[in-house]
Amino acid sequence: MEKLFVGKDNFLKFVQNLVERFSVYAPVEKEDFLFYEKVNQENIDKIKVDTRRAIHPLKSFFLPARRKVSEYFNSSLVHEQQNCVILGAKNCDLHALKISDSVYSGEKFGVEYKDPFYIEAREKTTLISFDCLSPDEVCFCRLVGVDPFPGEGFDLNFSSLEEGFIIQVGSDKGEKLIKENEALFSAAEQNMINKRDKNRERVVKLIEKNNREFKPAKSYRELIRDSDASPVWKEHSEMCVDCGGCNQICPTCRCFLLTDSKTKDKYERHYLWDACLLTGFARVAGGANPRPYLHQRFANRLLCKFYFFPENINLDACTGCGRCIAVCPGKIDMRKVFRDLAVEKKITVGLEK
Amino acid sequence: MNNPYEPIKTQILKIIPETAQIKTFVLKPENHFEFNAGQFIQLTIPGVGEGPFTPSSSPYEKEKMEVTIMQVGKITSTLHNMKENDLVGIRGPYGNRYPVDEWRNREILIVGGGVGLAPLRSLFLTLTYNLKEYKKIVLCYGAKTPEDIVYKESILNKWQKEFAGKISFRVTVDVGDEKWKGKVGLVTTTLDGIDEEVSNISESIAVVCGPPVMMKFTTLKLLDVGYTPEKIYLSMEKNMSCGIGKCGHCQLGKFLACRDGPVFTYEQLKDIPAIWD
Repeated sequence: MEKLFVGKDNFLKFVQNLVERFSVYAPVEKEDFLFYEKVNQENIDKIKVDTRRAIHPLKSFFLPARRKVSEYFNSSLVHEQQNCVILGAKNCDLHALKISDSVYSGEKFGVEYKDPFYIEAREKTTLISFDCLSPDEVCFCRLVGVDPFPGEGFDLNFSSLEEGFIIQVGSDKGEKLIKENEALFSAAEQNMINKRDKNRERVVKLIEKNNREFKPAKSYRELIRDSDASPVWKEHSEMCVDCGGCNQICPTCRCFLLTDSKTKDKYERHYLWDACLLTGFARVAGGANPRPYLHQRFANRLLCKFYFFPENINLDACTGCGRCIAVCPGKIDMRKVFRDLAVEKKITVGLEK
Repeated sequence: MNNPYEPIKTQILKIIPETAQIKTFVLKPENHFEFNAGQFIQLTIPGVGEGPFTPSSSPYEKEKMEVTIMQVGKITSTLHNMKENDLVGIRGPYGNRYPVDEWRNREILIVGGGVGLAPLRSLFLTLTYNLKEYKKIVLCYGAKTPEDIVYKESILNKWQKEFAGKISFRVTVDVGDEKWKGKVGLVTTTLDGIDEEVSNISESIAVVCGPPVMMKFTTLKLLDVGYTPEKIYLSMEKNMSCGIGKCGHCQLGKFLACRDGPVFTYEQLKDIPAIWD
């Protein structure tokens, strides 16, 4: 597909057009972080679509922290999912959706049973992603093989240049949006694409430089193998306060609990985010708990990402977005956990230029 | 919309007390419902919550289903206070079944501990439905005291008469009382001299269900007497919430108990740390 170009003014018109037709969500800066907000006339000039990933994980749009999933014995539950557009997703965000897609709508996690709420939300959402231009200090996508610019998984992708944006179409849904706003776009010229590629290269180098000291000679998948008894888990979980914040903020953590309640005239069932860091996560009736110690749960979270998911779908369930590092009150940094696992296994770490 | 979180309205037809803490609930789902021995269901107490349980009745009984439940927590305590004709909900069946087709012409040893006999009763009724398909069946069972034996009439009397000469029964209690005439000892002692019953141990099947510590020591003893890890079948108790491979609660190494289990061979589990905890 031919690549398109949109100038800065026409880009604003395009966003205006979207806001008139859909619920549009885009990152807006608040103190140190970017948060997704519904775009309206008051905040439209404050959206930050082409800098870095928001601290909000994209999963909140498809797997909200709490969702009614049944009003049972009275199948009248009407689920109203609006058409919406997410503007400003980054490649780490898109990559994380591969994990939630596999669990909620894929074959490996239940051929017979898929989550209709998730599927509907995914179908009714248009994803407009942007190349990452200014990664956070904590971003480490390149350490887990993820690029800071998307290759797939978007409806449209925008790459920012001084004079405007290069647009890549990724789906029929994206194609339709382009057609509907045709007058705003022109064909991208080769020199613009060259500039885009240079930008991409610059960001890759920046992320690699920021993570030089953490880069192991072997993959995280290999480092975590047979690490259950490693002292590294105890050492690093010493600062853990068991809050589960890393679970909640992680774009690939997808565990939940079903809870039931009774209102005046009906029974309700809700889906609620759960966190494997919390003591009772795996506890069974009668009190037996396979992971009673914090260091076991701490290890389990990363084993899920680099052992459970690779074994099941041959993908790491980590995109290197660094949100877990950004929010941890104990300043736990998983890059350091893996650095120490590498050191313990006498595998070179951090010596690359 | 096919909603996998929606339970089927189910009536409690009958409640049978088994022991002081264990009751069997006879359930009648509003819609047609079938399962295979070993599979589990999610049982809803309306407005209170759900829990995973394995039916204890015969899968060939299509009209109703039985679930034997020990009172240990919030859900089970609420359930124990319910009455006949009360309404519950069920979802499922979920997970895998005992692969009984692969067990044809083999000797099968069933070892149950406490309320762990519940899924094994469903298995037992499946096997005895086609008894001649199997070379031999031995049922071992251990309870804490004679008062704690579940399906007491069946296991101590009815089945023993019905299958005399075809199935061997070895029942023991940890602590006896003045009326108890049977064996006293931990359930693992029922495996002493098992080679008198089972002629080709390395080719035969063992199925174990009970509290984790019972499963641990029974498995170790089975290995000790010559059973092979791939022929020892264990039912793993985990806290499945969704039952459909999504919620993550029942993760066990690279497995999900709801999707890959709840029936596992010891071969599948032996390298996973802390499986008995």
